[in-house]
Amino acid sequence: MATRVTLRTWRKLSQILFLFLFLLLFRLTDYSGLDEIPYAVNIFFRWDPLIAATVLLATKTFAAILLPSLFVIALTVVWGRVFCGWICPLGTLLDGAGKLIPSQPQPGSSLRWVKYILLAIILTSSLFGLQLVGFFDPFSILVRGVTLGVDPVFNLLVSGFFDPIYRYAPQWISNLSEPIYTVLQDSLLPHRQSFFLLSTLSTCILIAVVVLEKLGRRFWCRNLCPLGGLLALFSRFSIFRRFPGRSCRDCQHCAPSCRMNAFDLESGRIRHEECNLCMDCVDDCDNQPSRFRFSQPDNRLQLDMSRRAFIGAGLAGITLPLLSMVNAGDRIPRPTLLRPPGAAAGPEFFSKCVRCGECMKVCIQNALQPCFLESGYEGMFTPRLIPRLGYCEFNCTLCGQVCPTGAIRKLSQPEKHAHVIGLALFDRARCLPFAEHSPCIVCEEHCPTHDKAIKFKEVTVINRKGESVELRQPYVIPELCIGCGICENKCPLPGHSAIRVLSTSMASGEEEFGYGVYN
Amino acid sequence: MDRRNFLKQVAVWSSGVLLAEPVFRITPDLLAAEAGSPILSVGTGKDYTSLVSSVLQPLGGIASFVKPGDQVVVKPNIGWDRRPEQAANTHPEIVRAVVALALQAGAKTVRVFDRTCNEKRRCYVNSGIQSALDNMGSRKVQCRYIDKRKFIPVTIEKGKSINKWSFYKDALQADCYINIPVAKHHSLARLTLGLKNTMGVIGGNRGKIHGNMGQNLADLNTVIRADLTIIDATRILLRNGPQGGSIKDVKVLDTVLASPDPVAADAYATTLFGLKPEQIDSTRAAAAMGLGEIDLNKMDIRTV
Repeated sequence: MATRVTLRTWRKLSQILFLFLFLLLFRLTDYSGLDEIPYAVNIFFRWDPLIAATVLLATKTFAAILLPSLFVIALTVVWGRVFCGWICPLGTLLDGAGKLIPSQPQPGSSLRWVKYILLAIILTSSLFGLQLVGFFDPFSILVRGVTLGVDPVFNLLVSGFFDPIYRYAPQWISNLSEPIYTVLQDSLLPHRQSFFLLSTLSTCILIAVVVLEKLGRRFWCRNLCPLGGLLALFSRFSIFRRFPGRSCRDCQHCAPSCRMNAFDLESGRIRHEECNLCMDCVDDCDNQPSRFRFSQPDNRLQLDMSRRAFIGAGLAGITLPLLSMVNAGDRIPRPTLLRPPGAAAGPEFFSKCVRCGECMKVCIQNALQPCFLESGYEGMFTPRLIPRLGYCEFNCTLCGQVCPTGAIRKLSQPEKHAHVIGLALFDRARCLPFAEHSPCIVCEEHCPTHDKAIKFKEVTVINRKGESVELRQPYVIPELCIGCGICENKCPLPGHSAIRVLSTSMASGEEEFGYGVYN
Repeated sequence: MDRRNFLKQVAVWSSGVLLAEPVFRITPDLLAAEAGSPILSVGTGKDYTSLVSSVLQPLGGIASFVKPGDQVVVKPNIGWDRRPEQAANTHPEIVRAVVALALQAGAKTVRVFDRTCNEKRRCYVNSGIQSALDNMGSRKVQCRYIDKRKFIPVTIEKGKSINKWSFYKDALQADCYINIPVAKHHSLARLTLGLKNTMGVIGGNRGKIHGNMGQNLADLNTVIRADLTIIDATRILLRNGPQGGSIKDVKVLDTVLASPDPVAADAYATTLFGLKPEQIDSTRAAAAMGLGEIDLNKMDIRTV
């Protein structure tokens, strides 16, 4: 059977292309052999108007890096929610999953208003300095889930297939499998096996969004997605609209299968702001199909949100930041909570970070990890540096390059070399040359600054056996230490390192740190 | 047990046939047989490629080490995310020259690798070594990252301080192992030279080696005994080793030295820093174990 090229074909093609672009950019969010990443790997966040709006409201300054969002707004004002139907990679995933998860027929009661409530809460609270967008933005959910869970598991599965063959199968089999593995490693696989905190939670959120398909096609998009809500508002002004054909009045066959449930069954009209232009109703029509053409905006149907609900959402959006401001958690010093190099200080970091996970994806030492409740629920999924898992590579500036909002500032290499993340402190009760009188200074060896921030004294001590031994005992020069954490990472002691990087007031302005600390 | 026998053991063990870990013993006799008056060749020159081949001439050229069909390992220092002029890694031209000579001598494959201290890709790229080897365009040259599956636990029978450690399979199985360290300062070991460069082919928590570093390094070198050591002293790091970072700490010597005796090579290289061979613990410990000659007067030193 020959496949007819219809409008739907083009839509699917576009969806696949953008999904591929998304996955490609995800894979390219990595060290490429150059100090700078030559592609705009974070473009999906930079053209996200919801992120642009919340960052603008929270910081009260305009960030040029988010200018591409105007493109999506313009697109929506002309064509409607074509972004949701033709571009959004999460939408494409949901369409794909919808084919596997049979959904129930359209539910009776509509939940369309929920996305506007969420949108109103997110926008209002961001105006008062509480950034909630990361919990609901579709790209934050998607990239976080893929970075922290899906991608590491993918690598685990592939290596879990090839490793046993390499180890236990006869040589001639691994001679066949290893070249395939090598090709995969050079193309599809991440460069290393990563490990992340919150891998389960982040992936479960993504899976939950997908499983909602069970309740209805594009359940997330039509009911919950705050970006969808924002684009819906813009699309009420759009000039590209659906016009019913002559026979539509008595037919309405397409209405139950509309993936966005955009038809108002009582009036028989389409809710234009819900339509994502998937073109199914045009392609599947047996009679005289409806047509999409340019026309004056004409919104006869009210938006699915009452004024009362809107005011309620606004009040919630004010209350949540107020509650955060009186949360004592922010006033407890958290000396081990280190932020990425170039992270804005205190409240500014919290208002700019959209929890997208790009910095964690790109960190070549797997050092950046998502916070859980260490800095309150407000700071969940914000990045922190955990030196025992990975240190901050001296010459690397990638996290600042991929941050879509400037929450992590882009540092030049000379800036990075002098940029202070924290301060290393020795625990002499455990450090080998002090505690055991045995030689070590692995930390001094790895200290990357020039001049070295870790130096040593040559001393003669009497050890436990009563012998006189010459030793080199290390110490930190605070003015030189940048807190990169390589010392803590490489310390050969098991368990806790005998040198730990702490974010002290001297090192990083700890007293200003954390959300909502206003002194 | 000799090396060939040991390699067989490694092969059957790593294919899962044998459950007991391979044991490596170089008998004192075998070591003594290689002693005598080792040749050490040293030269200076601006053209590093021709310098390497002229330094190898007194040793009989590369052909006396690499036989046609050999699987060769060339082990440079690629430990740090530093540029060639910062003198923390072996100079890429030296690496390329040695690899090219090994190919000329008929090597079947030449593997170049190091277990890096900084992020592996940054080290391979910024050391200049990866691009230098890629530009050779030979499929026989494999400059790949360490594959952690290839570390094999080895019982170090002769070890005085460590008796067991894991080693990289490719290094153990090489027909010819050419060690090409860069000579530089190191706070704990004083200098890092050929014997210390062996730390790039071992697995495990390498920080633990530092507890008794001199003897530990000598012990490791009873397992990996380089057939040829070529020390890169084209520029040496005098302070802030082993990774340096500033050109101010670098001294250009345009010198390369080579010897089949790893201890002799280290002993001679020490003098370039104005130190005596005995001041380096690992050289002293290795000499005491009969791994090579430490006494400069007992070497056949050829200057080219």
